[in-house]
Amino acid sequence: MMDRLTTVLGVGGIGCFAVAFLLSGAYPYAITDGREPEAGWDEIAKDVSPDFKDMAVRFPGGFAGLEGGPDAAKAGAPEDAWRAAYAKAIRRGRDIYIAEACWHCHSQYVRPVANEDIRFGKVRSSRDDNNVAQRPVLWGTRRVGPDLTHEGGLRSNDWHAAHLLDPQSTSPGSVMPRYEWYFADGWQVARRVDPAVAARERLDPATARAVSGVYASEDEAKAEMARIAASLPDERSSEKTRMSVVRAKGPTPDGVAVLAYLQWLGTWEAPPKEGGAE
Amino acid sequence: MSSITASPAGDAAHDGAAESAVPLVAKNLVKLHLIASILWMISSMTWGFLASLQFLHAYPAEGIEWFSFGRIRLLHTNEIAYGCLVNGFIGCLYYVVPRLTGRKVLSAGLGLLVFWVWQFLTVATSVGQLLGKTQALEWGETPTGFKPGTFELNYIPVDFLIEVGAVLVALQFMTPIVKAMKERMYVSLWYISAGIVWLILTYVMGNTLVEWNFPGSSGAAASGLYIHDLVGLFVTPMGWGMMYFFVPIILRKPIWSHALSVIGFWSLAFFYPLNGVHHYLLSSIPMSVQYGAVISTMAVEIVVTTVIVNFFGTMWGRGRAIHSNLTIRWFYTGMILYFITCLQCAVHTTLSVQKVIHFTDWVPGHAHLVMLGVFSFWIIGMTQWLWPRMTGNEWYSRRLNHWQYWLTLIGLFTMFVDLLAAGVIHGYMLDALSPWMDIVRAMYPFWLLRTIAGGMILAGQILFFWNLWKTARTPKPYDHRWDLVDAGGAA
Repeated sequence: MMDRLTTVLGVGGIGCFAVAFLLSGAYPYAITDGREPEAGWDEIAKDVSPDFKDMAVRFPGGFAGLEGGPDAAKAGAPEDAWRAAYAKAIRRGRDIYIAEACWHCHSQYVRPVANEDIRFGKVRSSRDDNNVAQRPVLWGTRRVGPDLTHEGGLRSNDWHAAHLLDPQSTSPGSVMPRYEWYFADGWQVARRVDPAVAARERLDPATARAVSGVYASEDEAKAEMARIAASLPDERSSEKTRMSVVRAKGPTPDGVAVLAYLQWLGTWEAPPKEGGAE
Repeated sequence: MSSITASPAGDAAHDGAAESAVPLVAKNLVKLHLIASILWMISSMTWGFLASLQFLHAYPAEGIEWFSFGRIRLLHTNEIAYGCLVNGFIGCLYYVVPRLTGRKVLSAGLGLLVFWVWQFLTVATSVGQLLGKTQALEWGETPTGFKPGTFELNYIPVDFLIEVGAVLVALQFMTPIVKAMKERMYVSLWYISAGIVWLILTYVMGNTLVEWNFPGSSGAAASGLYIHDLVGLFVTPMGWGMMYFFVPIILRKPIWSHALSVIGFWSLAFFYPLNGVHHYLLSSIPMSVQYGAVISTMAVEIVVTTVIVNFFGTMWGRGRAIHSNLTIRWFYTGMILYFITCLQCAVHTTLSVQKVIHFTDWVPGHAHLVMLGVFSFWIIGMTQWLWPRMTGNEWYSRRLNHWQYWLTLIGLFTMFVDLLAAGVIHGYMLDALSPWMDIVRAMYPFWLLRTIAGGMILAGQILFFWNLWKTARTPKPYDHRWDLVDAGGAA
């Protein structure tokens, strides 16, 4: 009987498959994620990270290319405009994280062993991962690079930008690839400090330092230069003539989206269960 | 040995008779799939070799978007799964199924369609992954073709094509099997028919649930289930179906124990799919489910032992074949490595070992032993047995085949031990809170050795392809006296 086609296909092919699916697919779903609705993009993006707001200033060129970016970057934009842009940016960044297979070398899965909570931060509950950014699940499989569960807010936007452009610049010896295609040439305002101020603050008056974000066009950078010039205190008024617009590399809209996603990671947690104790 | 002498009684004579009366086996389809399998193997290994250079700061295409490390690493695994293994198994089925059922496959025309559909979707997968159309499902990064989270097409829907391809494969081979269903089926057919059905179920389950329905921890559970079903319910049954057919044919004696065959098949069907969650242990998946996966993983090792005992019982008295016959040598090397890999699995699935080795190079070490050391070895062995018989030509060089065997085996074993050692060091350094970059630097020597070992494996397969090509192109009739040598008889 065990060697008849009907037994092999019925009991083996369908039966055993179904039992395994029930025990290790449907059952864990039913007792965890199936009990509560999954948190959507709006929910997980409701608290806009200060790092994301900083990106509008630091990488205005790339930020303007985000969906809803220009609305959020306007002076005095309402918080809802920020939320809308933020939700779309982390979603776009998450899609790039998948496309580049970042998840093959970086986990998002802190285990309660091997001192991982000391190194990477709190162990997350299944409720914390019951959100749309974890579908498909991005727990990962290998740690060539460190765990990213709680990466959001740990490092500055500049660090992340430099690290993506050339990982060895921030982490010498790193084997992570350079992601040059998430960066484009742009324009930035540079300024040499007033010689008197330089002498007092022990700065080199000949060095031009970047004082604005990276703009996509020269005109925008020039407009920013005019704004900066207008706001200089009297003491530094000589710096008006010591400013110029220089070429600089800044993240593209995709690059900004990746940074937004990285700076979002771990900043959202499931709200406490109604009725208290978890 | 330049001309065919009278064929010895047995399979060779039987082959001749069967094929001249009714061409049961579509030789061209066997050859097409086998050569495609070897070419995809070489392609996959080339990507793997290139990817390993990234770890040595020596990857030449770094900074080029389409050939970024993260993307080519996907090609390495997906081409082995959907290119090499699937083609190898289909080639095997074209030979095995008609002989076991006494009936032809559904249609030769469908055969060509299936062949081109699978080649097309494997190419489409690779191109899609280079273009960044990847899906975040391990061992199923094949592009869905949809913009994430929508039903808007942005690429060829490869997932869907694979489902169509799998259904076509089922039609092609289940037709003769169903026609013969009134008769009792030989062991190989249990594995093959169940494997064909499991492939469809598994692929659909994994690519719909994880991608569209289950988030977070339940998504991880389903993802683990998918990974393990794909290996355990498609690759493994096809592999053992192949072994149960070819080993008795080549050794010219029956399988040692039918009872052990029954135990082996049914416990594989029951325990193997229950292992899935062991890919995400010490996680927020409910502990009851994790413990269940650990226990069934250990149960698999017991099952595996029965199958291995059965095959070594079959080999008893014909041990010489290991020496005289490279196919048998590939097969039995693969079985020993299968035993090691499953034993390793039973050990490292325990939570205390998981704690150390998870997320480290131990896991790729284990995966290479399974995918290359077992299933690719078996496909290579089968190709070596079938190729002269399908082309009718004597090997261009039997010596090159020996070179391939030793280059591949030494390369693989070096890589295995190297990655295991790297994994243990990585794991303990992680536990000891060593600075991250110290851990990375500690891995450099292991990664260098891994590249060298990978180069040996790749070189072996290139030699093999060259040999296959020259054999097909050099008309020198195959000498059937080799069959006796192959069976471990008089040399």
